[in-house]
Order: sequence, then C-alpha cells, then structure tokens
Amino acid sequence: MQRRVFLTLVLPAVFFVAGCNRSTSTSSSNPTGGDKIKHRIAVIPKGTTHEFWKSVHAGAVNAAMEFGDTEILWKGPLREDETTGQIQVVQDFIAQRADGICLAPLDSQALIRPVTEAIESDIPVVIFDSALGDESQIVSYVATDNFKGGRLAAQSLADAMGGEGDVILLRYKVGSESTEQREEGFLTELKENHPNVNVLVSNEYAGTTPDMALSKARQLLQKHRNEVDGIFAVCEPNADGTLGALRQTDLAGKVKFIAFDPSPTLIKGLKEGTVHGIVLQDPVTMGYEAVKAMHAQLSGGKVEKRVQTGEHVATAENMDTPEIQKLLNPQRFEE
Amino acid sequence: MNSLRLASVVSLLGPFLALAIVAGGFAVADQMQERGGGFTSAYNVRQIAASTTVVAIAGLGMTVIILAGGIDLSAGTGLALASVVLASLLEHKWPLALALAAAIGAGGLCGFANGLIIAKGRIVPFIVTLGTMMVWLGIAKKIADNKTIHVNREYVPDWLQNLLSASESRAILGLPMGAWVAVAMSAVLAFVLTKTVFGRHVTAVGSNEAAARLSGLPVDRIKIAVYVLGGIFFGAAGLCLFSQLSIGDPTQGTGKELDVIAAVIIGGGSLAGGRASVAGTLAGAATMAVIRSGCTQLGLDNPIQDIALGLIIVVAVAVDQWRQRRAV
Repeated sequence: MQRRVFLTLVLPAVFFVAGCNRSTSTSSSNPTGGDKIKHRIAVIPKGTTHEFWKSVHAGAVNAAMEFGDTEILWKGPLREDETTGQIQVVQDFIAQRADGICLAPLDSQALIRPVTEAIESDIPVVIFDSALGDESQIVSYVATDNFKGGRLAAQSLADAMGGEGDVILLRYKVGSESTEQREEGFLTELKENHPNVNVLVSNEYAGTTPDMALSKARQLLQKHRNEVDGIFAVCEPNADGTLGALRQTDLAGKVKFIAFDPSPTLIKGLKEGTVHGIVLQDPVTMGYEAVKAMHAQLSGGKVEKRVQTGEHVATAENMDTPEIQKLLNPQRFEE
Repeated sequence: MNSLRLASVVSLLGPFLALAIVAGGFAVADQMQERGGGFTSAYNVRQIAASTTVVAIAGLGMTVIILAGGIDLSAGTGLALASVVLASLLEHKWPLALALAAAIGAGGLCGFANGLIIAKGRIVPFIVTLGTMMVWLGIAKKIADNKTIHVNREYVPDWLQNLLSASESRAILGLPMGAWVAVAMSAVLAFVLTKTVFGRHVTAVGSNEAAARLSGLPVDRIKIAVYVLGGIFFGAAGLCLFSQLSIGDPTQGTGKELDVIAAVIIGGGSLAGGRASVAGTLAGAATMAVIRSGCTQLGLDNPIQDIALGLIIVVAVAVDQWRQRRAV
C-alpha cells in the first residue's frame, strides 16, 4: 500500500521531467541551432489564442531568423487576459534571467512594478502594442500610432463622402487608451482639414461586444437616418456590430462606413461595397520591430525611443494589391 | 494502532512530499538545461511565494468551508470585489485603516449572505455560490463603473504597494512580507480548527451533518459562521490581489476559485467534508505555483502547463480515495 501511494507521488514528477526535455522547442524558436545563440529574448503578448498575437509572434520569429544569434521565448498569461498571470510570466522570465523582455502590458499601471523588478535585475524591457504608465526606464515603445490611425479614418470617410456631410463617431469604452487616441485623431483631422464635414454624434460608447455595438449603432442610425452620411467605428467588435446595424436599418451601402482592424465580415463588406474603408495595423511589423529594438539594445546598437509600426487604409480599390493583402491576411506563427 | 498513526503521518506529510518531489524534479531538470539554475534562484523563491499568497490566503477560507462540508464558488469574484472596494475607497481618499476594514468586511458580508441562504434556505452550497459568484462580479463592476479603477499611487502607502514585491530589498527573511502574513494567518487558523470547540463543531458538521444536528449542535449558526470566516479570508486575499495589481479590476478574480479549491484538494481536503488541513492547503497552493514557475523555466508552453496542473489535481484526488478506502 505504501508503495502505491509513493508511486502516485513519483509519477507526476517523472511525467514532468520526461515532458520537459521533449517539448522545449514548442515555445521557443531557435532557428539556427543552440551554439550561436547569444540573446534569449522573452516576448510576452496579452494573450495567445487571438489571431493578432499569432501575427506578432510571426514577426518576432522573423526578426530572430534574420539576426541568427537570437532565440525567442514566447509566453502569454495562462488564462487569456489575466493581469496577475501576465505579472507572473514577467517574473518567471526575470528568474530565468532572460536577456531582454518585450512586453505588451495588459494594464498600463499593474505592470509597472514587475517591469521595475526586471530593470533592477539588469534585464532591459521593450514595451509594444499598448503603453505602460511609466516609460522612464524602458528601452523603447513599439506600437501603432493610433492618433494617426484616427486621422486616416477621418480622411477616408471625408473622401468617400465627397468632402461634405454629417457623420457619427461611435466610441469604444471609457479608459481604453488606444481607442481614445483613435477617436481624438478622427475628430482632430475633421476639425483641421475637413470644414464641411459636420459631427452629428461623438459622445456615444458602443461597448465591448459586437452585440452591444449593434444595438447602440441601430438606435443612433434610426434616430439620425435622414441626416447621417458617414459613420466611423473605432475597433473590430464595434465595427462588426455597426455593419450589422447598417444592414438592419437598410442603410448599408448608402451610409459611408469606415472600420478599424479587419475581420472576415468586414473584408467581405469591403468587397460588397457596404464597408468603404478599413484602417489596418501591422502586427507582424510590431513583433519584428520590438525584437529588433531589443536586439539593438543588447548588442550596443542605436535604439529609437518610440517606433511606429505603420497604419494603412484598405479600400475596395486597393484591397487586392499585395501590400494590402499582406495586412488583411497577415502572416501567422505556426508551430 | 501503530499503522493507523503511521497512516495519519503519511496523510499529513503527503502534500509536502508531493511538493518536494515536484520542486525537486523541476530543480534537477532546470539544472540540466543550458543556462539553467533560474528555478532555484533566490529571486524565483520570492516570486513563487508572492504569486502563491493570494491563492493561499483564500485557500485558508476555503479550507474551513470544505472542512464543514461546504463549497464556495464565489470565492474568486468575492475576492475581486474586496479588491475593488479597497481601490474605490482609496481613490476617494478614505483613511487607510477604514478602507482595509471595509474591504475585508465586504468579504465577510459576502460570506454572511452565502451562509444565510445555504443554512436557512437549505439550498446546496454549489448552487447558491454559483449564483452569488455572478452577483459579486456584477456588484464589483457596478462599484468600478464597469472599468478598471486606477488608484493614484500617492494614495496607496508604500507597504501596501510592496506587500507582494519579489524585490530583494523588500524581502524579510528571504520572503515577501505578504507571505509571512499568510503564514501567521495559517498558524492562527490551524489553532482555531484543532484546539477550539468551534473547530471541533465545524469538523463534526462536515463529517456528518445529521449526527451533528441530532447531538444538539446549532448547525445553522455554525454554517453561517463558517462562510463568514471564509469570506473574511477571501477579503484578506482581495487585499493582497490589490497589492499585487495596484489596480481594482472586477474581472481579475474570475476563475481564481478553481485554483483555491484545487489548493485545498491537493492539500488533502475532501470534498465530502470533515477533512481538510491548513498546512496541506499551503502545500497545495505552493505546488501549483511551483508547477507554473517550473514550466516557464523549462520553456514548456501553456497547453502542457494546463495539462500538468490538471493531472496533479486528479492524482491528488486518487491518492485521497486510496487513503479513504484503507481507512474503512
């Protein structure tokens, strides 16, 4: 009996040790073999199952392949979008003495302390995708210029409407830094460069799910159906809901519609003429530039404090060009 | 008699033996890999202790509840609610002592509501707390105005910000201050459960509720007290969660209840009631943190880690079953 109890305790340990040696390569990408690896760079996304992060992963691995002396340690929080989990991952990499950490913080404030701990342990940190509240100690911040993305949306919408008309801005939610930048960029561009475009509504929040966005957009479109000429939805769930609302109110195709971030539904809408533009980010470049900045830091090269990874607009005319196709269907990391 | 005593020693030491084996296995595997040794570094020990603390303190509350034959699925959202209450009050510049008391009190109040419905309504705790789990989440979101509360760091005292810091400069005797708080709370709870009348009543209710009732114990009152006590620990865990995050985020407790229950089970607690140990729960919570850390050190990806964590729970329960069968 004693022996059986003992066995059950030993078995899991055996399992772990056996499991370890086999699958080390699944989370780290070591394209050129162990001997030449000088830098082990940890890249920590906000989650691991979303398509966006798989593209960031692909970009990070591209950079590692290019440098040849770099290994990517890719790991997100165990539970998707769990801030405590992400803090633990940062601390795990500090304990592991990774040479550098690239982090997309889930919260601008909660990740400050673990980042400080990394820097105290002489591990440099690059922040990507979303800002950290305290940028004083980090190597670089690599992200989309969301303000400029908002400006691009405003230009595209104004162009689609022939330079004049009434528009609705459908905001996302209070406290989300990246989307607030887009909203401000949109309003600033209209005010500065498109005097004949009038903003009908700019104080409504769509909420975080396509469902909530659909009902909010439907109410607004019904209320203003005789005046509205254009609408801008600032992120993907928001835009999916808005497209649904345009269809339900029978305004799809008639009201000019600009979305931010692609989804299969929106790309189809672009083909059919119900979506008139999609502002695109470049996650592959984001992963690439984050690793590149860290590599430069580690090998004593010059590092830009702020790297912008580019914003683009897909329209029905340019959507089949190779450049835009690459952003509509970006490269994704595959095991 | 002799073999019985041996059995009870094994059952007490079992969870620690498992922890030692898991930690030893990872330490050896980590040493063998190129540039290894991170797993056994002093920083990693502090880091594991810090990341165990929230689950360990909440696990203490769950130990009492499981010992009494109950379960609390609302522990995770309840502790997040406590952290949001604390964040909100600090933001409104309440005195620190009052804000801390209110946060822990909120946990106790949640427990009181659970206990009252379970005892007086005679509804199974699984269902009651499944419901209140969502209620606490909703209340926390309401308090936080459906977003994350970013408290100005000036309003948060230095010790609270660094309760769970893994920095060497913040450590006391090699561990973060919060870990020592958890140890102290464990000692007090272990005393209460093993040396006081209340402790024996709780075990009696958990072992055989009908018999406890027949022998004249105030079962309803004991049950309510158990959930209130559990809730107070969840409130204290919420305080640690706030310290770890420095923000009040209503969603950060979701799913934590499963970690907490798993800690008690790995530590030798029985979901049938009547058996759960404070020391075992600490070992259980530490085992999960060690697996999480060890997997990252070895470069195992998240799916493997999920499977490992799941298997250890099943193994723990299997060991528990063998032990019970032998006891008959």
